[in-house]
Amino acid sequence: MRIQALLILVALLAPPLSPARAADDAEVKRGGYLAIASDCTACHTAPGGQPMAGGLRMASPLGTIVSTNISPSQEHGIGRYSFAQFDRAVRHGIRGDGARLYPAMPYTAYAKLTDQDMLALYAYFMTAVRPVETSPEHTRLPFPFNMRLSMAGWNILFLDSGTFVSDPKHTSEWNRGAYLVQGAAHCGSCHTPRGFLMQEKSGQPMAGSALGGWFAPNITSDAISGIGGWSVEELTTYLRTGHAPGKAQAAGPMAEAIDASLRHMNEADLRAIAVYLKSVAPVRNSADSRPAFAWGTAGDDLPSIRGVGLPGNLDEMTGPQLYDAHCASCHQSQGQGSFDGALPSLFHNAALGRSRADNLVMVILNGLRRHPDVNMPAFGHALSDIQLATLSNYLTSKWGNPQTQITAKEIGTLRAGGAPSPLLLLARGGMLLIAILLIVALVWWQYRRLSKRQPQAIDPAHTPGE
Amino acid sequence: MADQAADFIVIGSGIMGSLVARRLAESGASVLILEAGPRVTRGELVARFRNSPRRSDWMSPYPPSPWAPHPVYKPQDNGYLVQAGPYPYPAEYIRQVGGTTWHWAAHAWRNVPNDFRIKSLYDVGIDWPFSYDELEPFYQQAEELMGVSGAPNTGSPRAKPFPMEPVAEPFAMRRIRERLAGSFDVVSNTTARNSRSYDGRPPCCGNNSCQPICPIDAQYHGGIAAASAEAAGAKLLPDANVFRLEHDTAGRIVAAHYFDPDKGAHRVTGGTFIVAANGIESPRLMLLSASDKYPAGLANSSDMMGRNLMDHPSTSLTFDAEDALWLGRGPQSPSSINTMRDGTFRPDHAPYRLDFTNISRVDNATRALISAGIYGPEFEKRLRQTAAHEMNVKTVLEVLPHPDRRVTLSDQKDAMGLRKPQVHYAIDDYTRRGSASGKRDFQRIADLMGGTNLRFSKDGDYANNQHICGTMSMGNDPRTSVCDGYGRAHDHENLFFASTGVLPTSGTCNSTENGVAVALRSVHHILGAVAPVAARNAVSL
Repeated sequence: MRIQALLILVALLAPPLSPARAADDAEVKRGGYLAIASDCTACHTAPGGQPMAGGLRMASPLGTIVSTNISPSQEHGIGRYSFAQFDRAVRHGIRGDGARLYPAMPYTAYAKLTDQDMLALYAYFMTAVRPVETSPEHTRLPFPFNMRLSMAGWNILFLDSGTFVSDPKHTSEWNRGAYLVQGAAHCGSCHTPRGFLMQEKSGQPMAGSALGGWFAPNITSDAISGIGGWSVEELTTYLRTGHAPGKAQAAGPMAEAIDASLRHMNEADLRAIAVYLKSVAPVRNSADSRPAFAWGTAGDDLPSIRGVGLPGNLDEMTGPQLYDAHCASCHQSQGQGSFDGALPSLFHNAALGRSRADNLVMVILNGLRRHPDVNMPAFGHALSDIQLATLSNYLTSKWGNPQTQITAKEIGTLRAGGAPSPLLLLARGGMLLIAILLIVALVWWQYRRLSKRQPQAIDPAHTPGE
Repeated sequence: MADQAADFIVIGSGIMGSLVARRLAESGASVLILEAGPRVTRGELVARFRNSPRRSDWMSPYPPSPWAPHPVYKPQDNGYLVQAGPYPYPAEYIRQVGGTTWHWAAHAWRNVPNDFRIKSLYDVGIDWPFSYDELEPFYQQAEELMGVSGAPNTGSPRAKPFPMEPVAEPFAMRRIRERLAGSFDVVSNTTARNSRSYDGRPPCCGNNSCQPICPIDAQYHGGIAAASAEAAGAKLLPDANVFRLEHDTAGRIVAAHYFDPDKGAHRVTGGTFIVAANGIESPRLMLLSASDKYPAGLANSSDMMGRNLMDHPSTSLTFDAEDALWLGRGPQSPSSINTMRDGTFRPDHAPYRLDFTNISRVDNATRALISAGIYGPEFEKRLRQTAAHEMNVKTVLEVLPHPDRRVTLSDQKDAMGLRKPQVHYAIDDYTRRGSASGKRDFQRIADLMGGTNLRFSKDGDYANNQHICGTMSMGNDPRTSVCDGYGRAHDHENLFFASTGVLPTSGTCNSTENGVAVALRSVHHILGAVAPVAARNAVSL
């Protein structure tokens, strides 16, 4: 600890650190690995854009947030950041100029990073990332969220700025996993339910959360609702490849996390993550009656539709007809997928076994792309909301959790990017309330001022100079 | 309804019309595509195909619409394409959004360089108005748009590599290649089929139903092209059956008239008109548009409109190979022999490609056995034998342009009261001698494969391959051709053709990529020549 403190002191006292700081290759390499584990590139590199140059537009329930250039460009990036400024941004959510970051930047998780890892990360960014001399557009959230100062209060409430502390009661593998899950890998950013003010609910880590139409599932150790039924090996395989046969396959934001981050991590770290997740306090969702992967068997209804003409109104196509038209070519007549599992089976598949159909519908709408060449095409343009509701309900009834049904209206919401946050309305309502109170106060103050002129209204407690 | 108007009116939403519209829209021009047929989704086509009792009838998922019919021949000929003989030309094509490439084998070939000057080199046919080298960049553009891959050694040089590597070689094709090695070079076809994810579409997973429909869009088709045109800003009007182009006194085209499905007539005006309604419907429209000033039809002062109809006729050999090949895994048409596409024989007989099918034998063999009255254990044994061992090779022969082979208007009328297209066709000795050479190759191939039960197609029988070309031939001489090398009608300044119909000769390869590349070359020219003029005019107004 003392050495670390000394290092930080040195870092703080030194003039803004130039790339020439005496960071050795090993430290830079470790910083690079941490940058991958932290998945910086996922948000700070736009599709087809320069690494770390920002510009990715992220839909949030509050509006579109545009990531910034975090390459070491002096003018457009973080090239002029001292270590202290870098550290304040990454672990405390405060930009170099003192403005607050939105928690789309998962600084509440990065706060767990050790000082040593922060130095490595800094060394990596300053020496190994190529400066990109462009600025992306600015984030413009609607009022009141465009007032970044509002984040200061949020931070007081929700930022736990303590770094990770090992728990000697557990193995070093468990501790490594906990450090990664809570810190760099910031799993909770998606998987922990968010509260009224978009904060991660501290009481239910990893219990699952909605996210722009997708649902980041419960990954607590619960045997029914979580990943309690998965072996450490299955979890590790999933984290590396995005596919655990007979369990689930990654799509949407998780596929992105695997592609950009997890699959590049070493096997020991992935295993550590799995070991730790298997110990996260179980949270049971009352709607769940068996594990999402434990539903369904092979079977088909195709013989029943042979010789039956398509309806004139294609919105009246039945589930088997829609399956025949859109799905059977790859997932096969009985939902069994391909012989080698590359095209997954639909039974024993978490996408169809959950208590909500969000992810199933989102995959059908948007398709699925994952390294190296996993590509389920998007069907959003090919299916109406009514057809997709029929199809989704057929799929879950036939091969998944038959209780899981969805309406065409709900599909319309998912198609539009998920339910908007009530926060905007609430915050604006809150602002209105404050405004009303202010007006009342002003009126009262004015009344008092006017009253003051009358001798009988002099308030002895009133301070002069107002 | 008030007249609609756009800078460019494109007639036909097939692969060529749509890609032309896309390029024009990308340049910022306003583009309106008029498509005679309906908008159809892949899902319903797949559902209809899977549900069809006639799985080997590739037109069965594409029933003609009453207001814009197209020819179908099964279960019986609907009589839309009238045959004047002497040899039938039973072309299949599809009038719907996306056009005929909804069902194709996705063969996307370049000509070989000598195909462009067979008159100069071999004193047969005619020369093209430009060379292979001039078209080469547009072949590349076409291949990048469509996602084409294939063997590098098929006789067509390239400046840049294919955008992707070839689709995995099916086992049957591997065995054929191995057994013919030393005598014939069997190479993978160049096809618009994904071997990996490309342009958001997945790789081929071997459904083996490329015709009538790739159920996963692993192969490119006009429906994808039409969607990309709309995404680029082109407006697409389905169910708009254009029956006449209107011209002014100077001969410029000023409007297109179309019927909606209830035969309500509408008029659309535009600056430039691009007819992309295939090699039969386009000349039909030009002939239907005859006026007092142009009594023989538009773009027809040469009397060449509709003439020089060509295709690639096929003869074939079916036999049982010694090896169990199990055709039907992977795409339907993966491999071929390309060594007879050009050579000193060309003054004497037609060049050709030799194409191996990889279509599953099960459907046809089952029907043949049942119709032969074979049932029970014998049926199973024979079906297994045929499914495993039967193979087929066919010629894809060149046809030379000849003015007597042509599309005209029939006296019969369709449901809209429009005169039906009529075809006059014949197979000449040049092509027949080519097929005789092909038959000798068939015999050698069968010998090398240890073939038995050889069944040659009947002498004099030629299957149609639906590669409609020649009917609006390009050329530098307005007396002998319909349009110039950029597809612009010699007779009408603002009328272009984007179609396999403009190809002056047929060569030995499926005509789609040639048509697309020539159309892209035309757009390049239009954007360089016409669009700036339009912009100047707009400013001066």
